Amino acid sequence: MIRHLITLSTAAVLMAAAACSKPAAAPAAPAHPNLSGSWVRPLRDREVGGLPEIKDIPLTPWAADKLKAERPAQGENQDFANTTDPSLKYADPNGYPRISLHPMRFKMIQTDDYVYQLWEYNQNWRQIALNAPQEPDPALTWYGNAVGKWDGDTLVVDSVGYKDSTWLDARGLPHTQDLHLVERIHRAGENLAFDITFEDPGAFTKPWTAHLIFRPAPDGSMTENIYTISDELRFRERFLNQKVNIPIRR
Amino acid sequence: MRRSLFRIVSGAVVACLVSASALAHHGAASIYDMGKETTIKATVTEYVWTNPHVELGISPSGGTTTELLLELGSPPNIRNRGWTSRTVKAGDVVTVTFHPGLRGAKIGVVIKMVTADGKELHA
Repeated sequence: MIRHLITLSTAAVLMAAAACSKPAAAPAAPAHPNLSGSWVRPLRDREVGGLPEIKDIPLTPWAADKLKAERPAQGENQDFANTTDPSLKYADPNGYPRISLHPMRFKMIQTDDYVYQLWEYNQNWRQIALNAPQEPDPALTWYGNAVGKWDGDTLVVDSVGYKDSTWLDARGLPHTQDLHLVERIHRAGENLAFDITFEDPGAFTKPWTAHLIFRPAPDGSMTENIYTISDELRFRERFLNQKVNIPIRR
Repeated sequence: MRRSLFRIVSGAVVACLVSASALAHHGAASIYDMGKETTIKATVTEYVWTNPHVELGISPSGGTTTELLLELGSPPNIRNRGWTSRTVKAGDVVTVTFHPGLRGAKIGVVIKMVTADGKELHA
């Protein structure tokens, strides 16, 4: 009788233990830093980095000649009335990474499969596909084809497929269709840091790197600030008395 | 403490955005005399809420035809400084301070404006 009771008790304990135990848990996915939020690189903040001075960028002769022929709308030797800046002359999208140098903020949205950058200026955006292979022959676009993967706490982004008609910055820094960017994006304290390496054998004699810092920005609703060629033509006619015909891009 | 610190930082960021906005579309030095400021009382002839810069037409002589065309920042940027699309309208009398156009051009870039009821707005 006692032995029978012990057997029943043992069976009950074993059944209870079996009910409480769970299958072995799968390895937890690595926790990545959250890059989401609103970010801004204020124009007059001296600690947010930027592209290097021209003298420190290893330009090929082609790039040096092209840069010398450009007429930027800002900075030294600015010539707004006769500018060759495609973002003003044609109201072209700024392209990448020039859009990141604009003083308006952007939002970063991070999901399991994509990271999106939404720029307030002109409602431009790009997507970074996570853990996807780079396209061997991507379409040429304003914002390129970007893929990313995590390297510890850093998101490493590889991008190609850029149209060659954009400037890399407001100074007129040129590039070719072979532009290849490798970006290392990571948190730096409360800030967000982008270390961008530029490779483009047609424009640069060797790779070079720029460091950009973005400050946290107020995370309110995005405003609409779409700028069009009709806006630019109106401004030029009214303020500069220019009757501009829209030229064909060469 | 942390929240108030964030507000201070956010305020500083907004201030930086504000100060940068007037130059975001084009450098001003090739169009305006940035070393000169002019202040005049004038009648508003038009106020256009548009990109790349909001436009303020004024008539110092009190007429209805634009004699001076002034630019402000882009709509979202000056909205951060208290301007709206209804801040002024044709016929209002304002006192406006601006950098005048180079070579006598009848244009300018607004620094600040005081409305008839004494409200001061910076561009």
